[in-house]
Amino acid sequence: MLQVLERRSLLAFMALAAVLPLVFHDPYLLHVGIMVLIFAALASSLNLIVGYIGEFSLGHTVFFGMGAYVAALMSTRLGLPIWILLPLAGVVATLIGAAIGGITLRLRGPFFVIVTLCFAEILRLVATNWVDLTNGPMGLAGIPKPFDQDKLAYYYLCWAVLGASVYLCYRFVHSSTGRAAVTVRENRYIAQSVGIRPFTYAMIAFVLGAFIAGIAGSLYAYYISFVGPEVFNFSFMVSMILMVLIGGKGTLLGPLLGSLVVIFLEESLRGAQELRLSLFGVIVMLIVLFMPRGIVGYVHRCIQDKSRPPAAPAALKDGKLQAGA
Amino acid sequence: MDLFLQFLINGLVIGAFYALSALGLTLILGFMKVVNFAHGELYMLGGVIGWWVTSRLGLDFFSGLLVVAVAMGAFGWLVDRFLIERIRHEGEEAGILLTIGLSVFIINTALILVGSTPLKVAGPVAATPLFLGSAVVTENRILAVAVCAVLMAATHLVINRTRLGRAMRATFQDPMAAQLAGIGVANIYACTFAIGTIIAAAAGMLLSSIYSVQVSMGGLVTLKAFIVVILGGMGSFAGAILGGLLLGVVEALWGGYVSTGWVDVIGFSIVILTLLFRPYGLFSKRAERA
Repeated sequence: MLQVLERRSLLAFMALAAVLPLVFHDPYLLHVGIMVLIFAALASSLNLIVGYIGEFSLGHTVFFGMGAYVAALMSTRLGLPIWILLPLAGVVATLIGAAIGGITLRLRGPFFVIVTLCFAEILRLVATNWVDLTNGPMGLAGIPKPFDQDKLAYYYLCWAVLGASVYLCYRFVHSSTGRAAVTVRENRYIAQSVGIRPFTYAMIAFVLGAFIAGIAGSLYAYYISFVGPEVFNFSFMVSMILMVLIGGKGTLLGPLLGSLVVIFLEESLRGAQELRLSLFGVIVMLIVLFMPRGIVGYVHRCIQDKSRPPAAPAALKDGKLQAGA
Repeated sequence: MDLFLQFLINGLVIGAFYALSALGLTLILGFMKVVNFAHGELYMLGGVIGWWVTSRLGLDFFSGLLVVAVAMGAFGWLVDRFLIERIRHEGEEAGILLTIGLSVFIINTALILVGSTPLKVAGPVAATPLFLGSAVVTENRILAVAVCAVLMAATHLVINRTRLGRAMRATFQDPMAAQLAGIGVANIYACTFAIGTIIAAAAGMLLSSIYSVQVSMGGLVTLKAFIVVILGGMGSFAGAILGGLLLGVVEALWGGYVSTGWVDVIGFSIVILTLLFRPYGLFSKRAERA
């Protein structure tokens, strides 16, 4: 039942996103809409790693930033069109994802977190210091805007990309591969005992996530038409994490809702950068403490509580009794 | 060769601070199993509060250090009791997220309060140069490193020679048994976090008497501390100290002979290589891998 509900709500989200710009003709709202679509694709790709592999990657900006730099470099230096560069950015990010995944997915827990973060920091330093290629901290400006600067057309391009990404994620999650990945997340040893190799499935999800993040990065570069080393900054990572967490990790709808909430929060607090991030910090803490499964997880629980009465007494479920050791 | 000695001394000075901040982290990460991403922010807060009490309240350096230790100790204790306590048994990921949230909150609140300018703490002695052969080292650096060494020795004594230290070691070996023996486990966790916080904050204040403290520096400090802890081995006291000195010297030599822009890449490469080839750390006796 939940899967049907999930599919319907995903379709409803995408249909709503398709209709909205036809109803409201406000250019500012269109801008916010484009950002929501790009970040929804990005958050969905991070969710594949965080929600379905169950390892926390802090290096997702690597793929996002590489996609952005590929689009920026190739379009300003070689003049390649967007139709070639979007897939190319995805392919480059996939290759890097395969290389980084091959190294990092052997590690688990805090080590995985730290090493993925190290890769993001290394790329930030490379983008800052390799001035000949990346123009250093000055960044690359003047990326040609596609569609003769027609924002509405660009909105629908982002919409199509998000639709394709969500479709890819959906097919992945509900395939036998996705189920195997979830099995690994839930209990690594049982998964291994029935013949699932954790590394293989983690790698598939990681590479798929990198591919989508690379395309999202190139969309972002084309839209902002400027790319600097900031794309590798930790603050991007914080926004992405927040989107996945608020919406609910390990659900397909969660990242979409999360990016909607976070982008609107960011826009409404635009004037006060520090205050905004300070507030984000508090929100992250509150979610971890009080709503660890996000909006979608909360709704799921409400539905389940309604459909069947609680059988086991609450004390047995209380983690403290089991986790005393 | 003349320059080599100079680079070596610079590296050892900065390495002493890496070692001290990593020592705080090794208590929190190695013993408590909390992946503390706010460690650099605790370090930064030490420097900022140190600057505030010495320049605004007019205290001298050592009473300022005492105030910082007490204030940050209380802060660490409260953070553990009110935040980390709630997610103690929920695995590492909850702790990672919680401390990331905490660090983002601390950085940006500090930015609102004191701004992004570098702050300099007035040192207890002047920066008089001393000549060691061809190399130069200033007096305030020697003093800061000496205080570093005293703090490390004090931590070692607290853990190995006091009642509190004994309770800490018991708790981290087996919390259930420790609790049955009448140890207030929650308090011991909070005290350990407080000690880690004090060490980090003291390192921050000492270093800002040599260089300066900036609100945005915390992220890099956190990463360096992680690098040193991984390099030295989880929960290894000697490993943190040796790893810190090693990282400091390697960075100073690389910066001196090769290129200054790429210095930070060294640490990140070291940590990736360590985890690939020697995941238990260079100096760890036990094969402990979380």
